Amino acid sequence: MWRGFEGIMKIDFSFLSKYHEALLMGLGTTLHLTVICFGFALVLGFALALLRGSKIAPVAWAATLYVEFFRGTPVLVQLFWIFYCLPIFLGTELSNFTSAVVCLSLYGGAIMSESFRSGLKSIGREQYDAAHALGLGPWTRTIYVLLPQAVLRAVPVLLSNGVGLFKESALISAVGMAELMFIGSTISNRTARPVEVFTVIALIYFLVAFPLTRLVAVLERRILRRLAI
Amino acid sequence: MYDAKTQPLASLRNIHKAYGNLKVLSGIDLDMSPGERVVVIGPSGGGKSTLLRIMMGLEQITEGSIEFEGQPYITALNGKTRIDANVRKKMGMVFQHYTLFPHLSILNNLMLAAVKTRGMARAEARDKAMQLLARLGLEDKAGAYPSHLSGGQKQRVAIARALMLDPQLMLFDEVTSALDPELVAEVEQVMLELAEQRLPMMIVTHDMWFARNIASRVIFCAGGVVVEDGPPEQVLGDPLNPRTREFIQRVFHIHG
Ligand SMILES: Nc1ncnc2c1ncn2[C@@H]1O[C@H](COP(=O)(O)OP(=O)(O)O)[C@@H](O)[C@H]1O
Ligand SMILES: [Mg+2]
Repeated sequence: MWRGFEGIMKIDFSFLSKYHEALLMGLGTTLHLTVICFGFALVLGFALALLRGSKIAPVAWAATLYVEFFRGTPVLVQLFWIFYCLPIFLGTELSNFTSAVVCLSLYGGAIMSESFRSGLKSIGREQYDAAHALGLGPWTRTIYVLLPQAVLRAVPVLLSNGVGLFKESALISAVGMAELMFIGSTISNRTARPVEVFTVIALIYFLVAFPLTRLVAVLERRILRRLAI
Repeated sequence: MYDAKTQPLASLRNIHKAYGNLKVLSGIDLDMSPGERVVVIGPSGGGKSTLLRIMMGLEQITEGSIEFEGQPYITALNGKTRIDANVRKKMGMVFQHYTLFPHLSILNNLMLAAVKTRGMARAEARDKAMQLLARLGLEDKAGAYPSHLSGGQKQRVAIARALMLDPQLMLFDEVTSALDPELVAEVEQVMLELAEQRLPMMIVTHDMWFARNIASRVIFCAGGVVVEDGPPEQVLGDPLNPRTREFIQRVFHIHG
């Protein structure tokens, strides 16, 4: 008790100002990684959502298996597999950045395909009927009627998925990439001041994620109002 | 060549329709002349929507055939329904629930099918759309989105959107049922104007006052067949069939 109290009394964040450049660089790397993976995951998620709706059963089945696999295994295990095992099959080393991008994109794609799918499912039968009655063929119907509505409806969820990726990216520290979490651990080890360091790290993640989650809520309300027929 | 003077516009022969084991239509026969406005009445669940959806080519049929302007339109053969896509283009439909495309402006709702499936030039489609909107008193809504419109305005836009494609037969499925009472008249007014221009229509409605005003002919459908078929004064005023009589009394009782 007494020692703990003494420990709390000694909390002092000022030493971290020395490390602010390193922390900013770590945040930069985290954001860079998140944005790249977000882009890849969007494209992959969209393709997977369409494939899962395919009339060709094996295609739909394979896409579903992919999604379930990535949703049903820990991201850390996926990361280790890609970092340590995939090079054995490929016969070349993968940099930790490449491994991170591959991992978070594959995982993000699986998550986002669900978001796209629920967007597609939320379109009522009336929209199909109306498109049909106007003589719109399958292509025109998909491109001009269904997809825009599905994507619009999915925007808030996709953005939350993006925030999710941003947070999951902390796992990448485990393969030694100098992103925010890794920098934090390094500073903590060097200074033996984990309380201050990890408090600040948590705050930095929160300060980036919080406005985005607020934005998600605002977008959700706006889009739902617009799409309320 | 189709001769409107001697041939029916649409003739339905022995239309059967089942959803699995549920028989919805069991032998509908109907000849409709050009310029006729057929109002279909009947108990809920009696297959009125199904009949219109079949006419629009939205549902398969189990048995029977439909000719339109003397051409084969829909035929059931060995459990498969063949629908002639070129004849289908001559139908227009407005649904009970608003079916505007919510992500498109009113103008684009009107233009989409004309441009994408009828190959109309954008400028031409825009002019036509603006003319139609003006005719329905909606020209100031061209840039608005469906969510900004009242129910009555939305249904008028839905009518305009169907008219963009110059239908030869308009199908209206309870288009005022979902509307607040004070918005019903503006939609019915538009339909009455179309009737004056002798646009052929098939209309499902529960509004007996409106039915009497717009119909040139009323059909009472129940149990999957046409129970009574005649001029509005007869079917709505003094029906021959006891089932029609009972239905009319009940509906007039409810709706005043
Ligand atoms: N897609 C469908 N699948 C199964 N049953 C249906 C479907 N559509 C309509 N039905 C059934 O068919 C019957 C007739 O429906 P409908 O044509 O909508 O009647 P109405 O418009 O006269 O109220 C009802 O019993 C309804 O439940
Ligand atoms: Mg109905």
